[in-house]
Amino acid sequence: MVEFSHLTKAYKKRVVVDDFTLSVDVPIFGFLGQNGAGKTTIMKVIVGLLAPTSGTITIDGSLASHPIFKKKIGYMPETPYFYEKMTGMEFLRFCDSLFEGGGNDQKHYESLLKKVGIYGARDFEIGTYSKGMRQRLGFAQALVNDPEYLFLDEPLDGLDPIGRREMKEVMLDLKKEGRRIFLNTHILYDVEEICDEVGIIHQGKLLYAGSVKAFCAGKPLEERFMEVVEEHEKQIADVAQTV
Amino acid sequence: MRNIFVIAKNTLKLEIRDKILYGIIIFGLLYIFFTLFLSDLVLKELPMVKSFGLTGIYFFNAIIALFLGTTSFFKDVDRKVVYFILSKPVSRAQFLLGKFFGLCMVLFFATVILSVAYLGLILYEHGGFDALGLLAIAMQFLEMALFLAFAIFVSTFSSSLLSIVYTSGVFFLGHVVSSLLSAAKQIGLGGIKLVLVEILYYVFPNLEKFDARDLAIHAVAMPFTEFALAVAYAAVYIILLLSAAIWIFEKKEI
Repeated sequence: MVEFSHLTKAYKKRVVVDDFTLSVDVPIFGFLGQNGAGKTTIMKVIVGLLAPTSGTITIDGSLASHPIFKKKIGYMPETPYFYEKMTGMEFLRFCDSLFEGGGNDQKHYESLLKKVGIYGARDFEIGTYSKGMRQRLGFAQALVNDPEYLFLDEPLDGLDPIGRREMKEVMLDLKKEGRRIFLNTHILYDVEEICDEVGIIHQGKLLYAGSVKAFCAGKPLEERFMEVVEEHEKQIADVAQTV
Repeated sequence: MRNIFVIAKNTLKLEIRDKILYGIIIFGLLYIFFTLFLSDLVLKELPMVKSFGLTGIYFFNAIIALFLGTTSFFKDVDRKVVYFILSKPVSRAQFLLGKFFGLCMVLFFATVILSVAYLGLILYEHGGFDALGLLAIAMQFLEMALFLAFAIFVSTFSSSLLSIVYTSGVFFLGHVVSSLLSAAKQIGLGGIKLVLVEILYYVFPNLEKFDARDLAIHAVAMPFTEFALAVAYAAVYIILLLSAAIWIFEKKEI
């Protein structure tokens, strides 16, 4: 179980995540929100790239900031950048070698590259990869340490329809294997299709957390999403007017 | 420790694939071979030939150190490649130290190539092994390692272009501070002016400590204490610079 307790992150005086409290205990959880809503910041705090201004994140009862936790997770950043002169295979080997005892399992890297569909390009320089291939490699490196928890930031961005389908299938397979997946997205259709629960984030605040079905209440997800966001903005405007 | 080695090895592997590095090394080699013809102009006088050769190695190594130090670490952070690395069991300190040692290895690689060419040239022209020249090159390497540490330190808080400006400035000042202080004392400078010169002397690294070229050129052995002091000076300065760089990098929002 992943628990966020009063998590706040501010860059100087700008608050990007505001008193975020949530418990997640489902196989696939999606953070849904507009660009700049604070999804990426939350994910960066979880994986230790950013320190929270206040609040905590615990995973299975232990603080996520503990170094041992990094052995259990896989992270795919948004629009991943790579070492362009490396081949896909070399990059996976390098990522694996950052874990104790890693860096020598050629068959494992091959199976990961097959899983994400870029095995044929394994010996090409990453500089020659298309955006979709980079996304796939970013996904593969997140799996290199066989993680219990996966944190994927916009994993389907830049993929063509077939690529999106394939990656969603990979995620569903990972779910069957018992892994927990957190993904950030602003694409509503993806959430509806693969997430067990969602968290709607807007301007750093959590507006809703729960199942997609309960959230939609018979309406299309897009319509409900817009309603919730507009209602929140109206509340802020009302408060501002009162003050 | 293991992660520092993995990152250092990876840095070496990546940088030696860089065509710019090879371009600089090739020009360095051309310069050293050009010394063959220069030596004819100076009637094959050994000190002149040594001077040309050692200065060439120094100059091209300085370009490599400036190029690597101001770009490699900065690019990894700026292009967010660090996201992959730091989300794994790697601390920021390990990453930064790995980059530093990796770049030192690249510099060592370039130094070895240029040194072999230089020693071969001296052997061909004068039939002897230039051990003092090799010591001068080792001292130059120490200076370049310090130079790299400074460039990485600056890269933790400024852009690549600004790092080039700052690092070049320190390189220049580092070579004049000791002369500046002795000149100030000789002309009897006092008051605030002398204090300012002294501040410059103590804040900026005294890179003249690593200049053993003149001794090598005139075949004068370097006193061991001087050598040991220079090594200790470089080590202390590098440790201070890298500690400050780690402190800044750990606080940086990436």
